[in-house]
Amino acid sequence: MSKGGFSDSYDAVVVGAGNGGLVAAATLAAKGCKTLLLEQHNLPGGFASSFVRGRFEFEPSLHEVSDFGPPHDKGNVRILLEDKIGIDTEWFPVPEAYRLIIPHEKGGRLDATMPFGEEEYLAKMEEYVPGSRESVYKFIRLCEEVVDAFTYLGQSRGNPDKKVLTSKYGNFLKTASYSLQDVLDALKMPYRAQKIITAYWCYLGVGVKDLSFSIFAAMFYRYITKQAFIPRYRSHEFTTALDMKIRELGGDILYNTRVEKILVEDGRVVGVETSHGDRIKTNHVIANTSPHTVYSRLIHPRTAVLEIAWKTCNARKVGFSAFVVYLGLDKSPQELGLNEYSHFIYSTPDTNDIYDAFHRLERPIGQATVCLNNAVPDCSPEGTSIVYLTTLFSGDAWKNVSPAEYFKLKNRIAEEMIDEFEKVVNVNLRDSIEEIEVATPATFARYTGAFNGGIYGYEPVVWDSVLPRMMTMNEEKYIKGLEFAGGFAFRCHGYSSSLQSGETAALLTYKDIMEGK
Amino acid sequence: MTGDRINIKIKPLGILDLLAFKNLVPGRKKRIQKAPATVIGSLQPVNALACKLHPAVQHLIVGEVREETGDVRTYRLLPHKEKGTEQLAYFRPGQYLSFTFEVEGATVTRPYSISSSPQEALAGYYEITVKRSDGGFISNYIWNNWTVGSEVEAGGPEGQFYYDNLRDRRHIVGIAGGSGITPFRSMAKSILEGDLDISLTLFYGSNRKDEIIFKDDLAALQAASGGRIKVVHVLAEEKVEGFEHGFITAGLLKKYVDLDSCSIFICGPQAMYEHLDSELAKLEMRRKFIRKEVFGEIKNVERLSGYPAEAAGKNFKMLVHMGKRTVEIDAAAGESLLVALERAGLCPPSVCRSGSCGVCRSLLIKGDVFIPADVDGRRQADKKFGYIHPCVTFPLGNLEIVVPRRKVR
Repeated sequence: MSKGGFSDSYDAVVVGAGNGGLVAAATLAAKGCKTLLLEQHNLPGGFASSFVRGRFEFEPSLHEVSDFGPPHDKGNVRILLEDKIGIDTEWFPVPEAYRLIIPHEKGGRLDATMPFGEEEYLAKMEEYVPGSRESVYKFIRLCEEVVDAFTYLGQSRGNPDKKVLTSKYGNFLKTASYSLQDVLDALKMPYRAQKIITAYWCYLGVGVKDLSFSIFAAMFYRYITKQAFIPRYRSHEFTTALDMKIRELGGDILYNTRVEKILVEDGRVVGVETSHGDRIKTNHVIANTSPHTVYSRLIHPRTAVLEIAWKTCNARKVGFSAFVVYLGLDKSPQELGLNEYSHFIYSTPDTNDIYDAFHRLERPIGQATVCLNNAVPDCSPEGTSIVYLTTLFSGDAWKNVSPAEYFKLKNRIAEEMIDEFEKVVNVNLRDSIEEIEVATPATFARYTGAFNGGIYGYEPVVWDSVLPRMMTMNEEKYIKGLEFAGGFAFRCHGYSSSLQSGETAALLTYKDIMEGK
Repeated sequence: MTGDRINIKIKPLGILDLLAFKNLVPGRKKRIQKAPATVIGSLQPVNALACKLHPAVQHLIVGEVREETGDVRTYRLLPHKEKGTEQLAYFRPGQYLSFTFEVEGATVTRPYSISSSPQEALAGYYEITVKRSDGGFISNYIWNNWTVGSEVEAGGPEGQFYYDNLRDRRHIVGIAGGSGITPFRSMAKSILEGDLDISLTLFYGSNRKDEIIFKDDLAALQAASGGRIKVVHVLAEEKVEGFEHGFITAGLLKKYVDLDSCSIFICGPQAMYEHLDSELAKLEMRRKFIRKEVFGEIKNVERLSGYPAEAAGKNFKMLVHMGKRTVEIDAAAGESLLVALERAGLCPPSVCRSGSCGVCRSLLIKGDVFIPADVDGRRQADKKFGYIHPCVTFPLGNLEIVVPRRKVR
């Protein structure tokens, strides 16, 4: 077991101990590579962490992990964490898919609580929107084909058979260059069913007219068929379990150690330099951060960043940051009248309007709010509950905020979100707040150094979704020996994507190491 | 595939959809080629805001020293511009700063509440107020070494001991003991400056009248507040007319305020908390209405319930892994692991020194420790996997731990 020391040279250095970096380091260490994981903060996880206030321990960012599955029907993420890496973490299923409330929808208030399971989902949808079954059924079939196609692409290791693709996954190819809205229109899905089925859009952070259908389809299908899960002791449990596993496998981890430079010679990685002045030799770096950050701050000399690398960054759009109100309440969910786990509340019906509003520093008109006790009953002491309300902001919406107005501003926005939740769900939270903490884009920037506070990777619009990223992965590799993991990697953002991105980056790096590249 | 085959067309002809697919990669390349090659700046606006709110380090310089009482001084600290601190970080009244000291070859930290107001930080200074005490390693160091012009290093504002309008009642009952008055002075000033829209009734316990810190300041703040600030002095060792005598009790609080309409904030020494815990229990108030500032280093750990008597007074060895170094150091039963690390000159990270902030979080590899339950602020998974906060962890035998290096700032 590694006891915290480190050497002067490594097979691979992983920069950042977020979801992607932790899995990458564990995967490489398990393969016997001499691996060093460097993290600027004093904790593992990045956004996947926890923090304590009074008698409450809060979850900073996770709502639910997709593609996890119950033990008898494991999803890819459970297989990765439990079978391939082998960590010891307890997971709880989320009880229902979501409750969606759009108070001012065309034709009156929309308030739908949707279950997991394809049959259950279809039946419930038919109840809310009679006549929707056929189009929703077709939509789910399309989503299934997308998931199967991605599985096939993964197995083909970048060399898919075109005949197989066109014969078996024709619908996947035909929908790959369209938005979610394009596909819903083609299926002639009834309007209110469209609203219900797109509720998860905010997890990807792009309005449905621009959001890539393929990525939404893959996420939606995995949630509906594999349920959603959440760790017993917040994300800090599985990230610390990964930390322990990396050490057990002989990997070294250094916290409070920021990488200042990724040293590049003749277009390839030759080492890293840290905030402590450590110079470490390596030919392989996995960056668990954005290309924006790597190129603008880390690559040394800066002239090693090619013009095309800057163009690629500038063509893409960094996704949203978040604003979260964490409440420790001194009443149980039953006493409060909170029966669901996950609440999507959209104060205006059009997702593209909400997307635009998230770019302005104004009253949030969309929120995803979780009552954690409804999945993990003992996540807080008896007679109490944990509720967190999340909305999105672009980092730039906060760019003119001064420190002197910051604290009042964040409490004002927090109050607006609590008011909206109370009004729409008809509950009272205000009178039971024992602990409150509010995280803004500046908070996420503070703890992780994320580019402009972003919690998502590049926006998965049609042209920059998983498939085009996958198909251009090799040619867009601008520095030899450098791979990316996390929400900015080709799988796009979200916990399950960033965790799995770590494995992909590790396997690509391992292959290079083995081939002496 | 388990379900039925369907055949979707987005465009009227399916062939157009396949063409659109074929165009996905060329289209992407075109977009990238058309994008500007502008070099991206290394400090984005939100990252810059985060640095202003939470600077890793603030270089300060002592601008003024004032005697408050015989053994209490207030130090006014200004930004040390030559060392790169242009502006002082804004804060919430009630927060503290963690100072770093180099004393006798050891790097040591101490948290001090800011006794000045946020407006004064914007105007260019912080004040902290330090009581010299017997055996007070750092307070004596400050008294002996800090003079006008001394260079001082602190972190950003820290702590959660502040009024929150979404959580607390607007009438705050402050209970202060000795130098625990400092955060309340900041709050009282903020009330007058219009930053805090609350009223404050302050119960302030001192031993003797001549030991009251900020006596005139508090009187002036009360007089100028139009009834929003009221100070009740409580003297433990003296009977003086116009002052309450004895300790602060539930009965005394009830004599002055309606406890159903206020939130209680407490800041003082460890002994005061022990006394108040039983007094406040009589009031049967909801926890949300009672907030306590952390009080720093645990003293006399062997007196605490659950402490194994056989360990008291013993000396142990601790094997420490820190960066590339592995060293064996002494660890006394009565001192926290953090103090042992500092004593050995190892420069461990720390901020709150009270078990709550987690900055000193370290991995316990081997050995038994004692962690007082009511200051154990660890995450549940850290308890599960053996991570500890050395500032409130005491050795019960020989130990082996991994400690992260301090962040370089």
